Amino acid sequence: MTAFLASQRFAILFASHNRQLCRAYSGLQKCESLLFTSPPSLLFQHQIQTGVPNITNVATASANDKPDNDAMIRRDLASLYEDIRESLGKSQATLTPIAQYYFDGEGKAIRPMITMCLAKAINCHLNQISSEMIEKQKKVAQVVEMIHTASLVHDDVIDLAESRRNKSSANVVWGQKRSIVAGDFVVGRAIEICAAMQSDPVFELITKMVADLVNGELMQLDGSATENERFAHYLEKTFKKTASLIAYSCQSVSVLAGADSSLQNIAFQFGRQLGMAFQLVDDVLDFVATSAQLGKPAAADLRLGLATAPVLFAAHKFPELNPLIQRRFNQPGDVETAFYLVHRSDGLQRTKELASQYCDDAVTKLAHLSPSSYQQILYTLTHELLNRMK
Amino acid sequence: MVSRSCLIRWKTRHLGSSIHPAVSFSRSLFASSQVYQTSWVQAVSNAEKVVGFPTSFLSLRSVANDEISNIAVYLKKLIGTGHPLITTAKNLVYSNDKTHQTRGLLVLLMSKAAKRESGQDILPEQRTLAEITELVHTAHLIHTGVINLNTPNANLEMGNKMAVLCGDFFLAHSCVQLATLQNLKVVELIAQAISDYSTAEFIDIIASENDSALDRWSQQMTLRYGSLIAHACQSTLILGNNVELIESGKSFGLEIALAWQANIEIQSFKSNANRADHVLSKLFPETPFVDVVANFQAVRDRHVNAALKILTAFPQNDASLALGNIARALKY
Repeated sequence: MTAFLASQRFAILFASHNRQLCRAYSGLQKCESLLFTSPPSLLFQHQIQTGVPNITNVATASANDKPDNDAMIRRDLASLYEDIRESLGKSQATLTPIAQYYFDGEGKAIRPMITMCLAKAINCHLNQISSEMIEKQKKVAQVVEMIHTASLVHDDVIDLAESRRNKSSANVVWGQKRSIVAGDFVVGRAIEICAAMQSDPVFELITKMVADLVNGELMQLDGSATENERFAHYLEKTFKKTASLIAYSCQSVSVLAGADSSLQNIAFQFGRQLGMAFQLVDDVLDFVATSAQLGKPAAADLRLGLATAPVLFAAHKFPELNPLIQRRFNQPGDVETAFYLVHRSDGLQRTKELASQYCDDAVTKLAHLSPSSYQQILYTLTHELLNRMK
Repeated sequence: MVSRSCLIRWKTRHLGSSIHPAVSFSRSLFASSQVYQTSWVQAVSNAEKVVGFPTSFLSLRSVANDEISNIAVYLKKLIGTGHPLITTAKNLVYSNDKTHQTRGLLVLLMSKAAKRESGQDILPEQRTLAEITELVHTAHLIHTGVINLNTPNANLEMGNKMAVLCGDFFLAHSCVQLATLQNLKVVELIAQAISDYSTAEFIDIIASENDSALDRWSQQMTLRYGSLIAHACQSTLILGNNVELIESGKSFGLEIALAWQANIEIQSFKSNANRADHVLSKLFPETPFVDVVANFQAVRDRHVNAALKILTAFPQNDASLALGNIARALKY
């Protein structure tokens, strides 16, 4: 029996290094997860019995599988950026460098990573192995990354940002006008790629995402919320600006895999909760990390007049923050005062707790899927997301 | 030689509106650009009646929601700063000379011109497409109005911010509208138009070894204006299932766009005090004013004639007649 299992394992290792066998690999993987890891149902039972899924437990269980799957994901990610650069390359010589500027593969690539891992987890759950469908799922990741990046370029002009990802922002290098227009170019190409997927439901989801991105940015202009409304306004804005990308992206890959509406909803909710957690951690890091770690200046949100979760929580303990929030920290010393008070309050701690709750909910949704190595990667990813430093 | 006033009356006879002979005679004494404006206005007004075009097709209020109303507050602060966004916004709201929202009108006319039976009406999807065309064009105008700022300037920075957000809002809204059409071919065509108008900004009108300056101008204008109109015409024929006319519609859209833009350049060249910086001076360097005008009028007329020739493939009805009138009105 052990010889058989050993040869199976060898076959899997061999297959993982050969692209042509990847289709077979994903089938074998399913067997592997059933044979070699502890019966996944036990993990679920633990979560369901305690009522509060602990992501640390489920995350560390995946340590053995990590190297093989990691390599496959990294290969997919590298080819994703190559594909994006190629689709943006066939154009005017002066446009191409701007269009390709942020697709050098130096970013965190968290959105494509989540999208593709979830896609593969859903494929395992539904027993879907069509390579044509998998290619379309990759295109979803491509489209979402392109639209996300274009929105970053536009945001940098709006926020007068001078650096991003440890290099000068596009608007500093080429001027505001060309950056904005290059962003439009990227969006145009992204929509063309999306249309080529031949899926009306996916296109509709992508358009909802685009609309939410813009409306989220517009919501940031609005300083009219009362103290009671502020947190709800902040959460809605956070969904639109950040979580919607991941949520609709996850739902889209599930649609392509043939998911029914309840599975689509699970995919959407997983992406949504993960996205919310991601932004909350981002908001904490703005107060905690140095600019060298972030790749962009710290305390940026305060300087832009934005009151994020740490500030809103801090205002409960220090009501003197409320007028500062109201006037968007535009008086001299406001930014410094707010920064100091946030650190003195429990705002950062409470924000991390909220992020943790979102992560736990994401994990609960993820647990509905059949066990797979990709599901394990996502558990790990969720855990790492909560504890990241940049 | 037929006198100018007779020529005008002959050309405008089938517009249906009666021009008092005295008025048309006195009009002929003015510079021809005024004649152009008159015949253009008449052609467009008549065309609007043919397709039941609402007067204010795309007002900011019609796409308004809570979020966009914030923009209106900031726009007021921009008045007097000289940011291009104010001009664009003003033109969106107040349109006196019928040069606005003509693209939507062209799409509706094309939709109707292709209908072979008199009972057929423009489809709701085609009207949505006309609106999408206007949205994309407006987003293009707004985004290309962003200014390069090297030194801090609070007002112009605010203007840029508003321009980016407004343009993005219109683009997003056009995407949402596109999804309602349930036709991914049309989506692809409009997306190409968006990539094309963006690419146009990066083209220099300098002669190279393969292309003359005029060729480069054509390329740039095709990308900047032609692509959207051509693809919109093509798309509306796809939506109307007028398969045999799709290529003609696309070609017509391109020719009319180039003719229209050529005419805009001529009119602005004639009325511009500082001609040295004008694009036509760069296309025809060291050429006397009269010759520049004549040369470019020849370019324009070639496109008008091409458009009129393509129109013969369409059924003869009010809409195709109106399209012909609009094309001919450009020849002044």
